[in-house]
Amino acid sequence: MAIRIQRVPSESLAGGVAARLVAIVLALVVAAIVFAFTGADLGKLGSHVLKSTFGSRFGLMDLGLIMTPLTLTGLAVMIALKVGAWNIGAEGQFCAGAFAATAVALFVPGPNVVVLPLMFVAGALGGMIWILIPTLARAYADVSELITTLLLNFVGVLLIYYVATGPWLDPSGVSFASTARLPHDVPSFWGDVHWGLPLAILLTIAVAAVLNFTRWGYEVRIAGSNPNAARYAAIPFRRHLIVVMLMSGAIAGLAGMLEAAGTAHRLQGGISNNFGYIGIMVAVLARGSAIGVIAGAALMAIILKSGISLQTQGVNISTVLAITGLILFFTALADELSHYRIVRTKEA
Amino acid sequence: MDLIAGLIQTAILAGGVLALAALGEVLAERAGVVNLGVEGLMALGAITGIAAVVAVPSPMLGFALALLVGLAVGMVFATATVIVRANQILCGLALTLMGTGVAAMIGKAYSGIPAPATFPPIAIPLLSELPLVGRALFTQNILVYLIYLVLPFCIHHLLFRTRHGLDLRAVGENPAAADAAGIPVRRIRFWYVSVGAAFAAGAGAYLTLAFVPSWSEGVVAGRGWIAVALVIFAGYRPWTAVMAALLFGLITSLGFVGQARNWPIAAPVLSMLPYLGTIALMIVPVLAWQKVRRLMAAPAALGEPYFRDVR
Repeated sequence: MAIRIQRVPSESLAGGVAARLVAIVLALVVAAIVFAFTGADLGKLGSHVLKSTFGSRFGLMDLGLIMTPLTLTGLAVMIALKVGAWNIGAEGQFCAGAFAATAVALFVPGPNVVVLPLMFVAGALGGMIWILIPTLARAYADVSELITTLLLNFVGVLLIYYVATGPWLDPSGVSFASTARLPHDVPSFWGDVHWGLPLAILLTIAVAAVLNFTRWGYEVRIAGSNPNAARYAAIPFRRHLIVVMLMSGAIAGLAGMLEAAGTAHRLQGGISNNFGYIGIMVAVLARGSAIGVIAGAALMAIILKSGISLQTQGVNISTVLAITGLILFFTALADELSHYRIVRTKEA
Repeated sequence: MDLIAGLIQTAILAGGVLALAALGEVLAERAGVVNLGVEGLMALGAITGIAAVVAVPSPMLGFALALLVGLAVGMVFATATVIVRANQILCGLALTLMGTGVAAMIGKAYSGIPAPATFPPIAIPLLSELPLVGRALFTQNILVYLIYLVLPFCIHHLLFRTRHGLDLRAVGENPAAADAAGIPVRRIRFWYVSVGAAFAAGAGAYLTLAFVPSWSEGVVAGRGWIAVALVIFAGYRPWTAVMAALLFGLITSLGFVGQARNWPIAAPVLSMLPYLGTIALMIVPVLAWQKVRRLMAAPAALGEPYFRDVR
């Protein structure tokens, strides 16, 4: 008998999920060790985190508010991955969606029932327009969508900053970096938590159902996992790529619209709050499943909310970004390592 | 005329950041590993540089420390992507998030402090007195000469004129064949990825010690990503990468000049120029010169981990 380590092409679902859980726990442990080194009182920080997330009504409300954009940006990145495209630009599409929805809210007069649906459409369209050029460049010139979508993030953030401090600045003079309060809100159903959250969850389930149970979804998945096989099977790879990437942009834009009209109630610099980047993490954790997106968004919402609440304890908000990176790093390692298994072989 | 000289001077200074990071990425990608962590490495290098000169006012020391930090972090990244062979895109994105986050955490204490010591411009005798462009071209800091002349020459020579460079390119094009020919695939990938990462961190230190020169959150501002884009645009060639960096530097300096001269365009809009310019430069050449595509193609095995036993 000999023991040997063997690489298998595809890992089991249970093994993969277990490896990821270990990765997340490990990443958090490493973060905790670093905190302990900087002289933080872990017990105090931990109890503060619990109190500010699950321990109070407001904590839970905030979790719901943060989870809304994360679910949508995660979904946006996830569906692009289904067709084999890296949409790293959810941050920019988020900004474009928030921008377009705000434009409608500020400049289109009318009753709520008319303007609010228009804002939804504008948000989705904004995100779609933001991803249009990277999409066409990828589809027709094979230009890396990963880099073009990412570069547009910086443009999107600058655009918001420009209009919020310049032409659309709140005329009342209360703020120096935001528009006036938007005249239309996404209605709330529980305290501050608005209907965006159930909408995001339903949309995630609906998109996943379409991807898993329709012919179109099947073709998209084939096109994403093996473009050559798709071509041989006469699946229009390019068309699927374009449609799915535009959908991805629209979903991220919708996240921006909901953030502006449901949570912040105005357009302000920094509104995107790294939601787009954390959405990448959500999509990677999701492994292409709807439940995964929702669970991943919940997890990242807890981490982000913890980071925000720990600011009062002298913890820098950038910590959240660092911890997100750490989790992503360990997840990537775990994904590869879970392909290995130990087998016993008889000596020949 | 002053305008043009100033434009060129700033373009060279601004392009240096991109050129150094891009040269590092050329090394890694030629070996077949795409490192998307450049942005994070630059942030780490930038904060290391400023923290070092605040402690000891020697820009050389700051720059050297940044290179060391980059090398160390690069070795962690190389362990993940070359030894464990985890997904390169995910590891790179993770490195970008970690580097940006950690640098911002440390950076809180250094925010807004001007670097107490910077790389001073060195005027080259005679040449710097040339009319028009003399001052712009030949009154730059030492890193500029290093990045624009010495490094691309060395890397070009290494890649295309030595046996070792051939091995390196073989590893990036066809690791299985390279392996069969007895070339140590893993060792080559590991070290070139690590050294490339050191270059990226050095570019960050250049930012805070020679170009800006101070730390603020978001000081890197996507330059790492522009550098990655530039490597593709330059067809993975060192001299082309440096020239492309200069072109991007020119776009950046147009924005600066615009702000300084009160052009009737808002500052945030001018700040968008480098990103939009990068996207345009990634798309236009591909559409305009179809024939160049093959010549400028990426190394065939770029981004693919190499498993000896999997066919």
